[in-house]
Amino acid sequence: MGVSIVPTLRVLKPVGMIAGVGFVGLLVGYFANAAFFPGTTPVQPIEFSHTVHAGDYEIPCLYCHTQARRSPSAGVPSVNKCMGCHAIVATDSPLIREVARHYENDEPIPWIKVHDLPDFVHFPHNRHVAAGLECQECHGPVETMDRVTRMAPNEMGQCLTCHKDMEVEHGIDCLTCHK
Amino acid sequence: MPNVDRRNFLKLVGAGGVGAGAGFMLSESRKHPVEHLVPYPVPPEEFSPGIATWYNSVCSMCSAGCGISVRTREGRAKKIEGNPAHPVSQGRLCALGQSGLQALYNPDRITGPLVRAGRRGEIEFDPTTWEESFAELANQLELMRTAGRGGGVALLTGGVRGHLASLLELFMGWLGSDQLLHYDFNHPATLYAANERFFGESNLPYYDIENSRYVLSFGADFIGHWLSPVHHGLGFGRSRQARDGDRGRFVQIEPRMSLTGAAADEWIAANPGTEGVLALGIARRIVDQGGYQGTDLDAWQAALDGYAPDAVAEQTGVLPDTVARLADSFAETQPGLAIGGGAPANHSNGVDALVAVNALNHLVGNIGVEGGVIFNPPPAFGPEASRHASLARMLELAEDARAGRIELLIVSNTNPVFNLPEASGFAEALADIPQIVSLSSFLDETTAHADLVLPSNTYLESWGDDTPSPGVGFRVGAVSQPVVEPLYDTRATGDIVLELAHRMGLDLAFPWPNMEEYLKYSWREVWSNGTPDPSIPDFDTFWTSVVRAGVWGDETRAPGGEFVPDAGVVEGIGVGAPEFAGAEGEFPYALHPYLSNGLHDGRGANLPWMQELPDALTGVVYGTWIELNPETADELGLSDGDVVAIESPAGAIEAPVLVYPAIMPGVVAMPIGQGHEEYGRYAEEHGVNPINVLAAETEPATGALAWAATRVRLVPTGGRADLVRVSGEARELGREIVQIADAGTPAAAVNAPAVAAAGAGAPGVRLASGARAAAGIDAPTAGAEAATANTRLNSIPITVVNT
Repeated sequence: MGVSIVPTLRVLKPVGMIAGVGFVGLLVGYFANAAFFPGTTPVQPIEFSHTVHAGDYEIPCLYCHTQARRSPSAGVPSVNKCMGCHAIVATDSPLIREVARHYENDEPIPWIKVHDLPDFVHFPHNRHVAAGLECQECHGPVETMDRVTRMAPNEMGQCLTCHKDMEVEHGIDCLTCHK
Repeated sequence: MPNVDRRNFLKLVGAGGVGAGAGFMLSESRKHPVEHLVPYPVPPEEFSPGIATWYNSVCSMCSAGCGISVRTREGRAKKIEGNPAHPVSQGRLCALGQSGLQALYNPDRITGPLVRAGRRGEIEFDPTTWEESFAELANQLELMRTAGRGGGVALLTGGVRGHLASLLELFMGWLGSDQLLHYDFNHPATLYAANERFFGESNLPYYDIENSRYVLSFGADFIGHWLSPVHHGLGFGRSRQARDGDRGRFVQIEPRMSLTGAAADEWIAANPGTEGVLALGIARRIVDQGGYQGTDLDAWQAALDGYAPDAVAEQTGVLPDTVARLADSFAETQPGLAIGGGAPANHSNGVDALVAVNALNHLVGNIGVEGGVIFNPPPAFGPEASRHASLARMLELAEDARAGRIELLIVSNTNPVFNLPEASGFAEALADIPQIVSLSSFLDETTAHADLVLPSNTYLESWGDDTPSPGVGFRVGAVSQPVVEPLYDTRATGDIVLELAHRMGLDLAFPWPNMEEYLKYSWREVWSNGTPDPSIPDFDTFWTSVVRAGVWGDETRAPGGEFVPDAGVVEGIGVGAPEFAGAEGEFPYALHPYLSNGLHDGRGANLPWMQELPDALTGVVYGTWIELNPETADELGLSDGDVVAIESPAGAIEAPVLVYPAIMPGVVAMPIGQGHEEYGRYAEEHGVNPINVLAAETEPATGALAWAATRVRLVPTGGRADLVRVSGEARELGREIVQIADAGTPAAAVNAPAVAAAGAGAPGVRLASGARAAAGIDAPTAGAEAATANTRLNSIPITVVNT
């Protein structure tokens, strides 16, 4: 043992020592949470796989998220949209049986939002689709994700950088997004 | 190893653990809360999340029947606007109509059926189920019906029109009861009666303010709440500004300046209750000057014999010169329009006064012409006979209740306990009714007496239809569709009635499963009676187009025919002296209650937006106040905020004083709408209800409550209250708001509001020296004095006419 922390600890008053250890604990807890439970990959109520749908079967994003081209909100497909295929496809899978149960009971599926912007940000999907942006530019390679992860930070810098690069008219005005 | 003993080691482990836990939670709290994306299982047609859907419907906040367009997002109503295609509202809507959202989302709505648990009026209710309530109530109704006691059922609703009214008629007809009554405090019963007497039809004509070049209004606050304020406001604006270089002139005659009066070119205060006499004085002058050339000229001369200038001046307090000037300008500015409403219409001589106003229109030939009085066709659908109950009819109902002739009272969308004077004894009579069922959406004063509460949907959740009254000179029908699903466990009034009928075994008479189907069935008739439109091949297309448009009907006014009043009518023209409850010696002040623009008759008091809407003229928010002329206030030594007791022969209430210069001395005014004991958190504990000090005085021809016919005395209590006011400085402070113009330049009178004083010495508007000093200018003449009064309102630029 080269250096002993005993002398240091001795000088500290017991209260200070406890506070110090408590503070270290606080930092460890804080960053451990952020590192291990980032909340960017939530577990959905039904384990829908984008790898299968968008990847393997190459179903276009806008086939299900059809509102993205006309509404500020991209929307998630209604349950009857799922049943449009799954009335005949993979009907014996337990996951599909769960979807069918929701459909039969007229019960919506409470999907968890992955890309969530604060309420004070106005982000119209339709304008971005119209500008020719690929969904993946913000959402990442969703077609490779079994569980969707939030890839982009979705923070203001990302918006501004892109608006500057694309030379969007009024792209960096406050009121463009905050209105 | 460091030398840490066991005790300290445990402490450190504890501290580290707590710290780590706290850090974890801190990090957790900084994350976005989990938000869900909840799609519809099966989305409605054409639904897009994030995109608003607009539905056309009909406003039910007052009786005007404006068409509305409601913006909804994800199945929630967000905003109400006027329906541009509807000829009444034409895309506009008033504040009360806008705040219909707060009726929908009101936290004090009744969310499910309730059954009384405590004693009557103690407001203790237990939740119950629709199934149980329907079973019991239908059983009781069916027993009464089969035993021939159906006449013991009374159904009391607010103003109902269209097919819901027909359905209620049918239901009560099957029960064998004629106790189907509509009670609406603001129902213009005297106007219907006056029109029946003069025109021979009990209907409201279209008052074409828009195309009129001269509006002479006797107390009608047509921008505030008279009949159809949105439509009138729109028409008034156009009469002022839409015709290039031809600004419509407008004179308002009323004892207390209303919002409408403040927009007038000339505002004249006649003694309260003598407005009809003034109208006849003007009529006499028109006849005397040869302005009328009908074949029955002799009859008119005879009828107006008693209205010589001096006699009129003595009664009304308006100088003969003013009467002559009004008469001459009214006769020569064509087309002109005389209208009457408000206090003059609701006095003991209300019908006679309104007949006199109709007579003015006839004398100058403004009946059936553009810019005058245009007759409406009968409503396109709905019952023909009016079920509107006057005060006298309500007292009959109370008498029936006392005599035990009413076994079951169903109350829907009306609040007579609040809107009838305490002196009527209506609230007490409710105690003698064995069973009271309320269909109200809110726990109001009347519902507090209920044994069973079956809460109705709000109008934004219900199917219905309407024929606006007054119409616009041609047939109009409008469909009211639900814009959102019911938020709570409530049912539409029509559906409740249909369900009761079905459970009573009356399926054959009521074959429709619900109100929507009943409307569709009834509108088939409207369709087949209507003008065939070749582009609409079948009923379903027609129905969809009507629901989508929100309105159906004609688009042009038919030309009016020649109108000649009966000889008997002309002979009977005459306005007697107003009769007040309370002797003048004992009760020196005439009480002028007026409907608040936002709270209406009190129905708007549970809407926070309406509570926060400052009164347009005084700037007061919340509470009830009593308006006194500065002279009256000086006499009594009162100033703003002094609390006085307002005592009438019928009761007493207390309210703070507000010195208001635009009111006659000898008249005191109070807004109606506050003073709720029930009706939810926003309505309760604000102000007092002036209806409670009104005597149960009626207008003899109609039995309607003469709410302007009570005298009061004021007794200072020594108390003080803070009036919450948003209006700014009352003094001029060198801003040159008041300008003196010469009466010789008529342009000044036409282009800016002016106040004509009835003249010093006559009981017109005079101003106390205190107010003049406050206005900060020298006021050399009586006219100027009256005008300085106005500077104390809200900095309205005013031109004074020196008369």
